[in-house]
Amino acid sequence: MLAYIARRLMLMIPTLVGITLLVFMLLALSPGGIGAGLRVSGGQMEASKAALMEAYLEDRYGLDDPIIVQYTRWLGRISPIKFGVRDQVLPTGALVRYPKAIQPTPLEDSWFAETLVPADRLVEIRDDYGVRDGRSVMTRGDDSPEVAEYKAAAKAYSKTRADYLVARKELDKQLVRLAAAEGWSDAVDKGKPVHRRFAGREPDRSSPEWAEVEAAAIAALDAKAVAEAARAREAAAFEVGPYPEDGIAIVPGMLSLAWPDLGTAFSRGRPVKDLILTALPVTLLLNAVTVPIIYLIAIPAGMLAARYRGSWFDVSSGALFVAFWSIPTVWAGVLAIGYLADKQYLGWFPVSGLHANDADGMSFLPSFVEGPDGTSTFSAGYLLDTLWHLALPVACLVYTGFAVLAKQTRAAMLDNFNQDYVRTAKAKGVPARVVLMRHVFRNSLLPLITMFVTIFPAMLAGSVIVEKIFSIPGMGSLILEAINLRDRELILANTFMIAVVNLLALLLADVLYAFADPRISYD
Amino acid sequence: MSQSASNPTGTISGIDVMRGVGAKPSKPFWADAWDRVVKRWGARIGLAWIAVVAFFAVLAPVTATGLPVWTVETVDGEVVRSWSPMWEGLHSVDVALLVGLVVGVPWMVLPPGLVGLTRSHRLGVLIAASIQCGISILVAGVIGDWLTDPEQSEGIRTFATERTAIVPWLAGIVAAVVGAVVMVPFTTFKSRIARIVLIVLVASISTVIAADRFDPPLSNYDRYIDRELAGRYENTWAIVPWSPSQARTSFYTLEPGTTVEAEIPATEGTFFGERRFLLGTDSVGQDVLSQMMHACRLSISIGLISTGISVLIGIIVGSLMGYFGGAVDLVLSRVVEIFMAIPVLFLLIVAAAVLPRNTYMMMAIIGCVSWTLPARFIRAEFLKLRAQDFVQAARAAGLPLRSVLFKHMLPNGLTPVLVQASFSIAAAILAEATLSYLGLGPDGQASWGKLLSSASTATGTFNWWLAIFPGLAIFLTVLAYNLLGEAFRDAIDPKLRKAAH
Repeated sequence: MLAYIARRLMLMIPTLVGITLLVFMLLALSPGGIGAGLRVSGGQMEASKAALMEAYLEDRYGLDDPIIVQYTRWLGRISPIKFGVRDQVLPTGALVRYPKAIQPTPLEDSWFAETLVPADRLVEIRDDYGVRDGRSVMTRGDDSPEVAEYKAAAKAYSKTRADYLVARKELDKQLVRLAAAEGWSDAVDKGKPVHRRFAGREPDRSSPEWAEVEAAAIAALDAKAVAEAARAREAAAFEVGPYPEDGIAIVPGMLSLAWPDLGTAFSRGRPVKDLILTALPVTLLLNAVTVPIIYLIAIPAGMLAARYRGSWFDVSSGALFVAFWSIPTVWAGVLAIGYLADKQYLGWFPVSGLHANDADGMSFLPSFVEGPDGTSTFSAGYLLDTLWHLALPVACLVYTGFAVLAKQTRAAMLDNFNQDYVRTAKAKGVPARVVLMRHVFRNSLLPLITMFVTIFPAMLAGSVIVEKIFSIPGMGSLILEAINLRDRELILANTFMIAVVNLLALLLADVLYAFADPRISYD
Repeated sequence: MSQSASNPTGTISGIDVMRGVGAKPSKPFWADAWDRVVKRWGARIGLAWIAVVAFFAVLAPVTATGLPVWTVETVDGEVVRSWSPMWEGLHSVDVALLVGLVVGVPWMVLPPGLVGLTRSHRLGVLIAASIQCGISILVAGVIGDWLTDPEQSEGIRTFATERTAIVPWLAGIVAAVVGAVVMVPFTTFKSRIARIVLIVLVASISTVIAADRFDPPLSNYDRYIDRELAGRYENTWAIVPWSPSQARTSFYTLEPGTTVEAEIPATEGTFFGERRFLLGTDSVGQDVLSQMMHACRLSISIGLISTGISVLIGIIVGSLMGYFGGAVDLVLSRVVEIFMAIPVLFLLIVAAAVLPRNTYMMMAIIGCVSWTLPARFIRAEFLKLRAQDFVQAARAAGLPLRSVLFKHMLPNGLTPVLVQASFSIAAAILAEATLSYLGLGPDGQASWGKLLSSASTATGTFNWWLAIFPGLAIFLTVLAYNLLGEAFRDAIDPKLRKAAH
């Protein structure tokens, strides 16, 4: 059994990689690609400024890298086994990484291989940017000199990197102009130069466009040297170790163990872990209330239907189960809001959300509150208020599960009624009720146990609709928002979590089934 | 068989039974199952509603359209010309469905004595012909879109727009060839000549339809209304005189039964003013009843085609897994697990948010996401069948793999999949309704889910007619397929036949 479990767990890893890769690839295909939610602003900025902003954001979040590179980078952060230099942990809990590598200048190894930054300029750069001092940033009083130096170095690096980005964009612009002048129509794709097409050709070195290109190239190489110096400074400051290191080293400098890092959601600017930790309890609450209710109603109903098979109760409840099963969740939710929640009709329930506006100030249990004029008014209290808000969403989630489970119970019990041991028990004179409860019901529990572990992941996804209709800020809303904004970290983290929960639930179902039914073994 | 003279009262003795008196010839498995299904009241209700939906799916462009059925243009009291704008505005799919209705219903209904084929054989021929016609028309539409795509290169675009006489026929013929090629492996008739005749017949019909309807004119509804108000035209209107996309700003969110003159006082007393919105309008002013009738086609087509795609993929993957076992099973099981571990709705939302929003893409998405269930059924059946004698015999005889898999093993293992098919259709319809509700449905196509989404507005008003009628339609359709599936399952599963009564 243990070998079976271990084998299944090992096999989960390629499945998880496959799932996240599939979802990531699908999103990369979408118009706008990953990070489409970032490129929103635009309207009030000049076109060139908007392009620069976009380029800066792409650079910052690594969105201009190829899709596979982005994915493997995310895989590296998710895996507990980390390669390379260990990250360091800020006091806030966020992670700082080794400074990012600098991208090469366009055509630096073909046209501009001979163009070098003059030696005296290099000395000048090193003097300006290699100096360690804590001057240029605001530091807190209790920051150590290493921390102050790291902060200054990081700020300098990000500024010089942005300058280098601007210089590269300028070079690209001049290259496009050159291509237009030379008539190289295939070297430009949607306004951006395709560098390898430039590399093979010889430009006309006497044209004015070439002079512009050369000037831009020199400026870009200079900016690159500056950025490299700033990077060296930040790397040096990082290696000194201003902050405590993350995880445990296995092979120092190469291999280490650390908690998976879910990253930062760039559409919201908050760590994904925080977002999930806020949304998950809401969904769990919804499911924790729904699942017991489903089981409490469905099992007795199924048992009664099986016991009185063929009676009016069985036939009518059978029809009712099919009808419940066929009601779309969206319709039930819309009808519930329209007739039960909206003030136009009955208005008994709240329309949206999980808590009333003043929920924070309420006491937990219902109580009487002293009013200003001495009369005491009834205040529902946090508990009752939450239950009141939960009533409609839970009702919408319950009826589907109830129909399926009741039918399964009835089918399982009917299956067992025809078995030999039931006939033997009846022949022995065991009372009908004992036969039902002690023999038939126990054997019918097996599919119900396995259904329990498969219902949970279904609820996680099924609540997407209910959470959207009732505006409940749970995992479902988070997922929908992540998909709409194409936020890479959020979507991947959510997919990963859902997949892990589903696979673990499937494994648990198989293991439980082996425990409950001794006839089944996996060896 | 003559009755024995020794029992004039009609009772049958054991000897008679041995002789075969009173024995009926056994029916084929599926014919017998179908008889048992139709006897149940649940199946009858389901089939009745599906028939209603199918009726509207085929006849919606004729019964609910904003174009007049017949227009007579008069100048100074003299009839200048008369024509049918509705007929001219029909698309190729509409015409094909109408032809299918006109040809198919007599084809199926005529008694077997007149046409020498059994009903089930005729049904098979009809299905094959409709698949071929459908593929041809779809391909012709794709060719048309590709030729007139704005990003197409200049040479092709000028060719397409200038040679308006040749291009539709060319596209039609190419599409018909594609459809014919797809149909070649299907054995609709025993004799090869009959098969070829059928293929050529359907191909020529689809070519004519595709060529004629290559570029239907855009519909200008207001022109007919204005000219009738001015007295130039005399129009005969359809039963529901609104098209699903016909809208005016003055028609936003009207209650059922509102007349046009209540919103546009200038039309008081005219034929236009007396028109009613029987089920109201939605938030952009389009008539609800007309949208609901046109949405029938979307539901049925998505249900059938998505399930067809998922069963096809499931059969291919499942048969490979079940037959080969070993390494192939291990790798493909991981693929199946991948699709099982992501909740279907999640993957649908991601795919629909990402891919272009048209009906065919939605059918493909739903089909490609729900194939794991048929695959698992087929795998289980093939694992059982692999050890059977007839399979061993087929392999020993040296039959090719595809013959062993699809001609010998598949017909025996298909039963659970077909029983599940009805439930899969219901699930596909539910999925499409949910996606349309979330706004991720096909663009420009009326859908029940899309109507449902405008029921509760952001400002808090609840438009009851947008919640009740479309929701009821979705509910009844899903219920019909579920009832049908239950009846099928009870009729086919021998275990349950003993237990239930």
